Amino acid sequence: MSGPVERVGAAALDRLRAARDLWRLYVSTIAGLGRALARRRDHAGPPRGELGRQMFHIGNRSLGFVIVTLGFIGMVVTFEACLQLSRVTGDYSTVGGQMIRLVISDFGPTLTAMMLATRVGAGIAAELGSMKVTEQIDALRMSGVLPVDYLIVPRFIASVLMTVVLTVIGTLVMYGAGGLTAWRSFAVNPSLYFDISLVRPRHVAIGVLKAVAFGAAIPIVAGFCGLRARGSSEGVGWATTAAVVGSSFAVIALDFVISAAALWVTGGDL
Amino acid sequence: MTGLGAAALRLCRELGGMLVLAGSVLRALVPPRLDRRELAKNLHKMGNRSVPIVVLTAFFAGALMMLQSGPFVKKLGATSLAGWGAGYAVLREIGPILIALMFSGRVGANTTAELATMTVTEQLDGLRALAIDPIRYLIVPRVLSMIAMLAVLTVIGDAVAIGGAAVVGRLMLDIEWSTLFHSFADNLEPADFLHGVWKSLAFGGAIAIASCYFGVSVRGGTVGVGRAVNAAVVASAVSILVLDFFVTYVSAP
Amino acid sequence: MSALVLTHVTKRYGTRLVLDDISLELARGARLGLIGPAASGKSVLLKLVAGLEQPDAGTITVLGDTITRPHVREVDLGELRKRIGMLFQSYALFDFLDVAGNVAFPLEQRGGIPAAEIAERVAARLRAVGLAGSERKLVGELSGGMKKRTGIARATVADAELVLYDEPTAGLDPVTTQKIYDLLAADQQRTGASVLAVSSDVAALAELVDEIAFLYRGKIVYRGPARSIRDAPDPLVRQFVRGELDGPLTEAIG
Repeated sequence: MSGPVERVGAAALDRLRAARDLWRLYVSTIAGLGRALARRRDHAGPPRGELGRQMFHIGNRSLGFVIVTLGFIGMVVTFEACLQLSRVTGDYSTVGGQMIRLVISDFGPTLTAMMLATRVGAGIAAELGSMKVTEQIDALRMSGVLPVDYLIVPRFIASVLMTVVLTVIGTLVMYGAGGLTAWRSFAVNPSLYFDISLVRPRHVAIGVLKAVAFGAAIPIVAGFCGLRARGSSEGVGWATTAAVVGSSFAVIALDFVISAAALWVTGGDL
Repeated sequence: MTGLGAAALRLCRELGGMLVLAGSVLRALVPPRLDRRELAKNLHKMGNRSVPIVVLTAFFAGALMMLQSGPFVKKLGATSLAGWGAGYAVLREIGPILIALMFSGRVGANTTAELATMTVTEQLDGLRALAIDPIRYLIVPRVLSMIAMLAVLTVIGDAVAIGGAAVVGRLMLDIEWSTLFHSFADNLEPADFLHGVWKSLAFGGAIAIASCYFGVSVRGGTVGVGRAVNAAVVASAVSILVLDFFVTYVSAP
Repeated sequence: MSALVLTHVTKRYGTRLVLDDISLELARGARLGLIGPAASGKSVLLKLVAGLEQPDAGTITVLGDTITRPHVREVDLGELRKRIGMLFQSYALFDFLDVAGNVAFPLEQRGGIPAAEIAERVAARLRAVGLAGSERKLVGELSGGMKKRTGIARATVADAELVLYDEPTAGLDPVTTQKIYDLLAADQQRTGASVLAVSSDVAALAELVDEIAFLYRGKIVYRGPARSIRDAPDPLVRQFVRGELDGPLTEAIG
């Protein structure tokens, strides 16, 4: 069991098994959503107000973080774009129009979600990971509770809703910060920059679709990593690390898939 | 109001702690007496661990930028500019940023988890009891390795990203390989590439200091390690994006 | 009918064989203690019985329900688990709830029990374990003994038909240990539940259970009455229980 071929084979099998388990967690979360809707009020389940608490948790803890990071990257992207235009044409009139199109359909949702993957993903994995290694997950199961229904489903719903809300905020901040940079550093007239006539409903639809997909992926991947934690404090640390990388990568990969699909559906006329 | 004040105080304390740590790392470098073995081990481990995720991320980053700029360029009928939009964004901004974010998640967070576990299990005190300076022995090699490795990974990632952009340009936007090649070669300057690498050095330093700081200042046992990792990746992400702005602004022509 | 039947159960972690072809039966209302050297698979056996992990081979029937049938789902096991009480080795108390919340949890999750009745049963249970007055304390504020007693209250509040105890007194001082064993014995008298208990404290365990089984290298090598465990015919068990340095156990470990 130590030859290089066996080791590669074993690693590949592990990956496959992990992918299968991740898929199963996704399926049972969707099933759990159905169970949550069908559940009678007096019956078992997460405590009342859990959804609100999770939404507050995700939204409140990430708001400042998203505003700061998206603000700075909005300034940088606009700065670079204007710099490049000054090299070629020196005509800044299209900067705002191109910027809003890109920010709405790609940069806004993707970068907001990258930040949430870091903040929320790590938080969920650390929380569920410590519950796993202290056997609290097993204790839940012994009370006849499905950990997915109790822990993942509320975080899933809260994450989808809050990712959409934070994406809207992040998009506005990024676009606004870009306008400020264009005006201060390249003297672009704000009324020219904040011209949204190039935005079409399909851009907004793509942006919202991406936000929903990212918001759904982050708690599933992070929850999966947390529930797989083993050992003690070190195990929780590893799980948190894996959650950050896994959910960030899920965001990038989903971004590519949705962008490519959108390109295909619209026949290249984005 | 009190909550806001407490948050501001905490922010100041953490920023101050990171600056102090950065200072002691610099001081420990002055006669550069390095534990070569520890340095080599970290370089190897960090590079090895993050190559797959960096390659994947860079490929998608390049592909995405081509997806975003390609249709626009095609609509203008200027396919020879395809490499300009995608390549420029990838080399100067998206490549270094995404790679740094992934690196902070993979290597930075790992370092925090590792150092935090050592701190919680009192191994750091054990080193001090043996009269070994943990900064010189544990932190300095990690900081140097992270800075060096992130720069190397950014160089690798840039190449992969351009490849990803080219693949999307050919397969999804129907642009000829030769057109793509010329558009990259004619429109991208070495300065664009160097700009990204120069940034990655700054990002590497920020990630290294943040992840080591939160690793050694961990409190609260088992739960604390998860929290430390969480704080480290958040601090890394903020410093990457804030630094990105200042480096871009300062180095603008 | 038996409370518990294990037939030819085998469990591996990677290449390590933890439980090797174990067969075991526990009658309704019977009390069995499980002892053995560290890492001999005692806790794993409890987790298999609770359905928290699946064996690699063999069948397990708990309270008349075979939990090792193919494609058994977590949802189906839920109903059975509500009839089982379990005390975890590391307490496994919910740190997001206070003491009363922890004890009330199994009852709340059953559904259909009025809140007043839950409160009454929780209060009665906390009185029984000597935690009256600590209802609103958070888990982080409790001492080891209080955590253990909270765990016991949670495991027994729903009047389980089968209770599983994993090291009920590990890490506690002798006085608290005695108190907890008295408590467990009184509880069992009251409910008539079947008991499977894992413990390293053989002397205290022998007062709670009728029979003791010795798990060694993944196999049950001995099972006999608890009262005379110090004089068991098997030299391996005798040495383990008496804590002697010379004997077959030492030779086997090397």
